[in-house]
Formats: sequence, C-alpha cells, structure tokens
Amino acid sequence: MFSDEQNLKHISTGSEDFDGILGGGIHCGEVTEVGGVPGIGKTQLGIQLGVNVQIPIVYGGLGSKAIYIDTEGSFMPERAYQIADACIVDTLESFRFHRKGAEDCQERMQPNYFLANILYFRVCSYTEQIAVINNLNKIVVEQKDIVIIDSISFHFRQDFEDMALRTRVLKELSQTLMKLAKKFTLAVVVMNQVTTKRTDGSFQLTLALGDTWSHSCTNRVILHWDGNDRRAYVEKSPSLPQASASFSVTGKGIRNVISHSKRVRMM
Amino acid sequence: MPLRAENPLHLPIEKLSLGCPVLDRLLGGGAPCGFVTELSGEAASGKTQLCLQLLLSAAAPRSSGGLSAASLFISSEPPFPLRRLLSLSSGAAAPLDHILVSTAFSFKDLLNLLKHVDALLSLVRPPSGRPIRLLVLDSAAAIFRADSDDARRRSSEIFTLAAKLKEQARKFNLAVIVTNHVVDVFDGGSSDQHMGNYLNLSSSGRKVCPAMGLAWANCVNMRLFLSRTAGDGNGDSGTGGSFGRKLQVVFAPHLPETSCEFMIRREGVFGVATQA
Repeated sequence: MFSDEQNLKHISTGSEDFDGILGGGIHCGEVTEVGGVPGIGKTQLGIQLGVNVQIPIVYGGLGSKAIYIDTEGSFMPERAYQIADACIVDTLESFRFHRKGAEDCQERMQPNYFLANILYFRVCSYTEQIAVINNLNKIVVEQKDIVIIDSISFHFRQDFEDMALRTRVLKELSQTLMKLAKKFTLAVVVMNQVTTKRTDGSFQLTLALGDTWSHSCTNRVILHWDGNDRRAYVEKSPSLPQASASFSVTGKGIRNVISHSKRVRMM
Repeated sequence: MPLRAENPLHLPIEKLSLGCPVLDRLLGGGAPCGFVTELSGEAASGKTQLCLQLLLSAAAPRSSGGLSAASLFISSEPPFPLRRLLSLSSGAAAPLDHILVSTAFSFKDLLNLLKHVDALLSLVRPPSGRPIRLLVLDSAAAIFRADSDDARRRSSEIFTLAAKLKEQARKFNLAVIVTNHVVDVFDGGSSDQHMGNYLNLSSSGRKVCPAMGLAWANCVNMRLFLSRTAGDGNGDSGTGGSFGRKLQVVFAPHLPETSCEFMIRREGVFGVATQA
C-alpha cells in the first residue's frame, strides 16, 4: 500500500474538469493511451503535459522535465512557447498571495526555460522509434517525470509485410513502456490514431493497431467531438470510474470549457 | 541520423510565404518547412493557383519572404499549368530555372520518384544552383482515386507515402504541400458522427469532406480547406469577386480554427483582410 501511495503523483492536463475524471491528472507510474480523430487535440495535450510537468514544486507542480517523442512531425516550438507562456502567467496569477520561496525560481519561470527542458526526439521510422524507446532507460535517470509519444501508431500503419512481426514488436514496445513507467515512476502518455472498423455492416471508429495493442496500456482516454465541443472519456482504467468531461483547446492551451467554469464560479 | 535529444529552442522554424501578407498572417507566417500541409478543396477552388504562387515564392529572395530555393512540382493531373505560372510570375527573372516538374500516376510511380528525389535532395550542387526546399504534390487524391476494393492495402500505401514525405520534409527542411479533392458527405453516415469539425465544411452549397478518408487525415500535419460560397456571392460585394472564396484552417498544431476570404485575380491569390 505504501509504495502505491508514492505513485500518486499527477500531472495536470490544464483543465480541472479533465483532471477530475483522471483523479487529479495524468498518473505517474502508469501508461496512459490517448486516442482521437485528427484535430481533436492529442498533440495539444501532449505539449501541455510536457509544459505542466515543469511547474516548479513551490507552485504545486513537479518541477520536472519531459521527454517528447515525435513520430509525426506535428510538434511546433512556437505553439509550445505559447502554452508555456500561458502556463507561467496562470501559475503566477494563482499564486499571487503565496510568495514564499517563489523568488528562487524566477529564472525558471520563463517560456524558453520550459522549452529547453523538453527533450525532443523526432523519429522517422518504426526502427528509429523502437531504438529511442529502448534507450529511454538511459535518459530517464533523474528529474524526468513524463514521456510523451505522439503518436505510437503512425509508423506501424505502413506496409508491414509480416503482420506477426508487427504484433510482436508492438507487444515488446508496450512491455518496455510499462516497465519504464513502473521503475522510474514515470507517466508514459501514448497518443493513438483512430481508424474505421466495419462491424455488423456499419462503420465504427476504433483505435488503431488492433486488438493486441488494446491490452497494452493501464489507462485509456478517448478524446472525441460532441457537436462542436471537445470531450474526454476515460474508457478503461483499473482505478478510475468510466467518466467524461468537456475541455477546450484555447490559445493558452488545454482549459476548461468557459461556460462551465463560469457556472462553477457563480456557485 | 543519430537519435539524440534536441532542444526545441534550436529546431528550425522556417515558413514559406504564400505570396500574400493576409494569407501569411492567417497561417502564422506561411507554410512551415518540415511539415506536410494539405490543401483540400473542390475543383476550381484555387488549390493549384495557390501551389503555383508557392512555387514562385520559394524561388523569391529571402528579403521578400521567399526561400531563394528551387522546388519540385509532382503532377498527377497534367498538364502543368505553365501559362498560368508565367502570367503569375510577371517580373520575376526566369522563374522556370528553379522549378522542376515531374509526373506520377500511381502509388508505385510516386514512391519510386520520391526515392530518386532523395538523391536529388542530397546533392551538394543541385541542378539549378539552389537547394530544393518545396515539394508540391498535385494531387494525392488522383493517385489514390481508384476506390480500390482492397481498403487495407490502400490505407497502408497512404501511410507509406506520408512517412516518405514526412521523412524528406524533416531531413531536408522541405515545405511539403499536397492537394486533395473533396467528397460529398451524406447526412446520417454513422462513421461521420464523431468527426466533429469535418461536418462544418461546405463548398458551393454542398456538404463536403476532404477525400481519402480518415487514414489520410491522420497523415497530414495541417489541413487547409478552400471553398466557394454558392451562387449568392453578390452578398459579399465588398470582396470584389464574383463569388466568395474562403481559406479555412481545419486543423493545425500551431493555429486556431480560423478562416479568411480570398480572391483570385490575374495577378494571383489574395486574402481579404477583415476589418477588426
């Protein structure tokens, strides 16, 4: 029980509602899969987590660093800068009256400092992807609390002549990630694409990489559209109930849906 | 390539101007290098026009937002609109010196071509004396049009093409532009229910969606949508066009979902600035 409690480190998504359904945020020590259609905000969430993990301890964060494995080339430094800048402004704002110890990390509360503490890997093939992931245990020694992989699936959806090989490689990959998460109390967040699957004559959206992969993660969160709103849904988790919450992607990054936060404030 | 961690502060972040300050502002500076940008839209929505303008922009000197570079135009729908390119380039010295044109009509052709392009991109002394920094594929939809019975193979071919384009984009810091057609969307299609903002796209009064399905949508870094407002363009008399045209950012990791009206004139494609 004691060792379990030590695992209760969380990284905020930037939206309190979203954090709420996750039991406080993304869990360290576990592998969390995040799936959704293009444009729903997977990359946004990835960048947001890479920023939020760095919020200094005096401001209630983990004061840590992030590893970002970009398989799709969608990581944009200018967007990371925006999100980091907004995170710093909002954090300082909410700690306006608690100045104790804050002077020490003035130099850390700069967007460029946040950017420099995202260790960025760009991989262009599945072999490179495996190489980077297999070498993570050498990099993740200290002060890294999250690994973001955006996405796990892109390089595995090409011509794979030997599908049995693909299954085996994916299985090893997921075991490596699980071990890593446990051993270093690391949050591993893997983005996954969605695909259409024909069942009973109708098409349904489902996560890519098939059935073997679908058993590979501790938690699974689906991001989806609900009309014009974005929602996050905890589909699978050993410790959390199935629940959903809306969130929005704003200029500042991932945040609560505005109308909702107004309602909370009125109460 | 050694797989070492990079500092995001040191990543190259060049953008290729679209040749119009209003459109550039909409896109945060232009089409990013190292990125695959999709331009989708119905026939005559202005996709190829915009591509031609990008070709000229890539050749333009850096002082005017260009890359002072060469570009490669791969056409799957010939003929290459040479006359239009020349009319757009009025003033520029010998624009064709820095534009390479090739064709591909099938996935196999295209992949072979791109493998040859690797050699071309790696040359220390490129043929026109300038490095290639822009690759245009017009269109991807024509390559994958044959609504093949083998959906699985088609999807894996789409991912193979995308991975190759992204690898080249990254390795040689290329801006990659791929055009795409649109298909009609029928209400009640259950697979579209959760696709969200795809459903808000319309052109010439039809509900449409970029072609090649969800597989391809997963492959592009940024999706731009060109549309025309049907018939009743007179309402937008301020735009000066006979009908309204719109450029819409459907998704992009660095941009909000925004849009801007534009017009196509003899001199080129121009965004219409909205009064704040």
